[in-house]
Amino acid sequence: MRHDPAMGAQPHDWTRRSALGLLPTLGLAACARSRAPEPLKFWAMSYEGDYSPMLMPAFTAATGILVDVQSLPATAAHEKLLTAQAGGAMPDVLMLYTGWVQEFATIAAIAPVPSPAMVADLFPGVLDATRVGGRDFAVPWSVAPQVQFYRRDILARAGYPEPAGDWDGWLRMGHAIKRQRPDDFVFMLLLNWPDMLMTMLGQTGATMLRDHDTRGNFQTPEARAAFAYYARIFAEGLAPKALSTEIQDPVAAFAQGYFAIWPTGPTTMLDLHRRAAEIPAERWATARLAGPHGVGAVSGLSTSLCVSASTPRPAEAWALVRHLSSPASELRYQTMIGNLPARLSAWTSPQLRAPILAPFKAQMRFPATAPKVIEWERIKLEIQFAAERVVRNVQTIPQALAGLDTRVDQLLAKRRALVEAGTLA
Amino acid sequence: MALMKPRAILANTLVALLTALTIAPLLYMVIVSFMPRGESSNPPTPLWPSHWSMENYHELLVRRLIDGAWFDYRIVPALFNSIAIAAISTLLGLLLTVPAGYAFAKLRFRGRERLLKILIASLVVPGQVAMLPLFLIFKQLGLVNSYAGVILPSLAGIFAILFVRQATLAIPDEMIDAARIDGASEARIFVTIVLPLLTPIVVTLALFMFLGSWNDFLWPLIVLADQHLYTLPVAVAAIAREHSADGELMMAAAVVTTMPVLLLFLAMQRYYLTGLLGGSVKG
Amino acid sequence: MTRQERAAWLFSAPVLAIIALVFVLPTALAMALSVTDYSIYALADWANLRFVGLGNFIDLFSTPLFWRAIGNTALFALLGVPIAIGASLAVALLLNDATVRWKPLWRVLLFAPDVTSIVATAVVWRFLFNERSGLINRALATVGAAPVDWLGNPHTSIPAILIFVTWKIFGYNMIVFTAALSAVPQDLMEAARLDGAGHWGRFRHVTLPAIGPTLLLAAVMSVAGFLQIFAEPYVMTLGGPAQSTTTILYFMFDEGFKWWNLGQASAVAFVLFLMILALTMFQTWIGRRYEWL
Repeated sequence: MRHDPAMGAQPHDWTRRSALGLLPTLGLAACARSRAPEPLKFWAMSYEGDYSPMLMPAFTAATGILVDVQSLPATAAHEKLLTAQAGGAMPDVLMLYTGWVQEFATIAAIAPVPSPAMVADLFPGVLDATRVGGRDFAVPWSVAPQVQFYRRDILARAGYPEPAGDWDGWLRMGHAIKRQRPDDFVFMLLLNWPDMLMTMLGQTGATMLRDHDTRGNFQTPEARAAFAYYARIFAEGLAPKALSTEIQDPVAAFAQGYFAIWPTGPTTMLDLHRRAAEIPAERWATARLAGPHGVGAVSGLSTSLCVSASTPRPAEAWALVRHLSSPASELRYQTMIGNLPARLSAWTSPQLRAPILAPFKAQMRFPATAPKVIEWERIKLEIQFAAERVVRNVQTIPQALAGLDTRVDQLLAKRRALVEAGTLA
Repeated sequence: MALMKPRAILANTLVALLTALTIAPLLYMVIVSFMPRGESSNPPTPLWPSHWSMENYHELLVRRLIDGAWFDYRIVPALFNSIAIAAISTLLGLLLTVPAGYAFAKLRFRGRERLLKILIASLVVPGQVAMLPLFLIFKQLGLVNSYAGVILPSLAGIFAILFVRQATLAIPDEMIDAARIDGASEARIFVTIVLPLLTPIVVTLALFMFLGSWNDFLWPLIVLADQHLYTLPVAVAAIAREHSADGELMMAAAVVTTMPVLLLFLAMQRYYLTGLLGGSVKG
Repeated sequence: MTRQERAAWLFSAPVLAIIALVFVLPTALAMALSVTDYSIYALADWANLRFVGLGNFIDLFSTPLFWRAIGNTALFALLGVPIAIGASLAVALLLNDATVRWKPLWRVLLFAPDVTSIVATAVVWRFLFNERSGLINRALATVGAAPVDWLGNPHTSIPAILIFVTWKIFGYNMIVFTAALSAVPQDLMEAARLDGAGHWGRFRHVTLPAIGPTLLLAAVMSVAGFLQIFAEPYVMTLGGPAQSTTTILYFMFDEGFKWWNLGQASAVAFVLFLMILALTMFQTWIGRRYEWL
């Protein structure tokens, strides 16, 4: 993928720039053709942050722009980014988890995508999460739906060539496995990871918020059903009541058969391949997650690329986004860290034809949608805390859901006031 | 005397054991940092490296080129940042607080007693209270994400002023008055008479300031956004979040962070420990 | 203005100005912030800022996690102060024994953890506490004890962090107590010995009264220290598991810098301030009481 540096300097890219930022940027853009003195700053989390430098030499070779990659720990990223925005210290380009995009767009931290061409050629539905007020604020980078990773050998012994696809079947299968392996568990649902519960809530049709997303709406039959099913898995001894800190090496636990079904995202494939000595490839496979009445939409930890609203070099920043989100870069990333490309055209590559990827490819077209409020990241944590209290028998489901509504109402108080005052749509 | 012997043996052994227990984590940190990668996480926990390896330090400290891309944990730059920030904080801190401490002890000026009372009272306020608004103020001043943003709050040395004042009170007034009668300027009195007498206290204070700045964590964590400006604790905390499984690498990072100040402390321990007692009986 | 007065201002004005800028002004602003609803919406647009009176405090007091954080912090202080002070005192008494040789050497080595960076040593201790491969569980295994998931279990996370904190800080009060012990009147000690008082009797009736004020002062200062625990959970547990190590300051950091609710976070800071103020008043009260005795 060659990137024409001139493309990044098209006139329409310049219009959003404030008059103050114009002069220095002109200077820098001029330098960039020879060799940029100041590297472009790019922040990314987790694996993406660690491996992004590998994608940069091609960009620098094509454009002459150097890129300085800063890797943020995923668990400290939200405060780091908000603090940088509040302190006026944002990088030029940044990765966001797709669920964070509307939050950062609302506080005007990121700029809208300049041309519709950049967000073409994507899986349908993925743009919903990054669209705020009718404008696109991010270029989806990877799509990471959850699927169930399962132990083929353990399931086969219990009479299941592949996992059940609906909730009742899932429990029946769980008990069949548990009968054979009473000392181990079947499912791994970590009590501090909200994705599975989010998927369940979405699949029962729980709306979660009401009154223009200004109040919690958890005391509904749908939310009760999702909570009840989630809690039942633990109550019937099919999943360990564990936090991620307690299962320090989930791959090893999966290899040892401590659990047989692991709902998780695509990067797990890479971990499993790397440790094939412990768990040979023929022992595991993937399938779409079970829903109340069969497969459906699921949530996951997808990533997006954004450009800071305050960057003095938007043209170069968007050029970098274009490079990173090109099918070639995304395919390279797939080999390196297992991320699945968001670009549709990348999926014609033979690299992505492995049967193990088919459930992901099918699932990618059905992302779960979350309410678009900037408090959502916090609310998600509160939902998970409420579920943990139910699982640990601290509260009953009605108590937990009532408490959740109270807490969410509290978190949304400011939003409610702004909506009532008409400041917020 | 013969009866005392078992007791002496017991007491000495006990002290030696306690000391060994206290030093053990630091010693083990150093030992693990030289283990080959992955060795420390295989039970049974090894107590000694199968062979002494420099690979953790190499990976941690040396910038490597892989497939045309540079990889670097940026520990060496963080080390230099820490040294620079601690040195500047210490120098400026001394420059600002030592004369002030002297002034509060020996120079008569209007409002002195009231200011002193306010300073003592303000020791009660935990620094974290000021942290949130300070960030907003520093944003307005353009100090977020800069060395100055880290250093400036460490210069507000209320404790240091009181510390110096306490020590200066011991200097007899007659010495200063005699110099005044001889016509020496106030600055000259301070530099040629007071400062030489305060030297041990200034060294102690410098040590406190340097170590305090070196180990400071919360404020640099908040105010520094750019990894090129990270101090060692901030850089190590960032790596520790994602590399908790790489025990040997993390121990090497901990060695780099703790050893410089530990050595400094061991070299200057006399000043440090006596100063500590001087400070603890503040009044 | 006299010459001396001019010099005094020249000497003290710069540092006083800095104190005003980075300490007095922000502290005043913190009080102001705590009665506003400064949140992420205000970060987007200052026009969204409103005066809410005591609303933040009312909200705070109805937030379960805030009480959890208060409870956790109280637990840290309640367990930590006796353990840390006890350790300091025990070691100081041992070092004070006339038969112990090389005292300066032991003192320096025992004090060494205090000068190290909390972040680096927290990383080391997180490694030592590892359930599968940590040194501590290996030591436990040699006496036949089952491995403990120190930092992963909500019931052992606070004790584990306390072990680390005690290791790190006990040297400080040990030095303070050593100095206090050397001031215990020896003639009184000798008289007690002649009266036939045993070790415990001499400790109870001679040593303890002599070092009592120092001990109390150290205890109060330690409480203040434990109220401000932050870096330990930040590095070792992220406030978990099940929020069992979320302290007041950790809660404030999360509210303020993770979610950018500065109004709410300032209210937390204010509560912390009041707690430390109360503690200091208690300390002065003790000080005064001892003067009368």
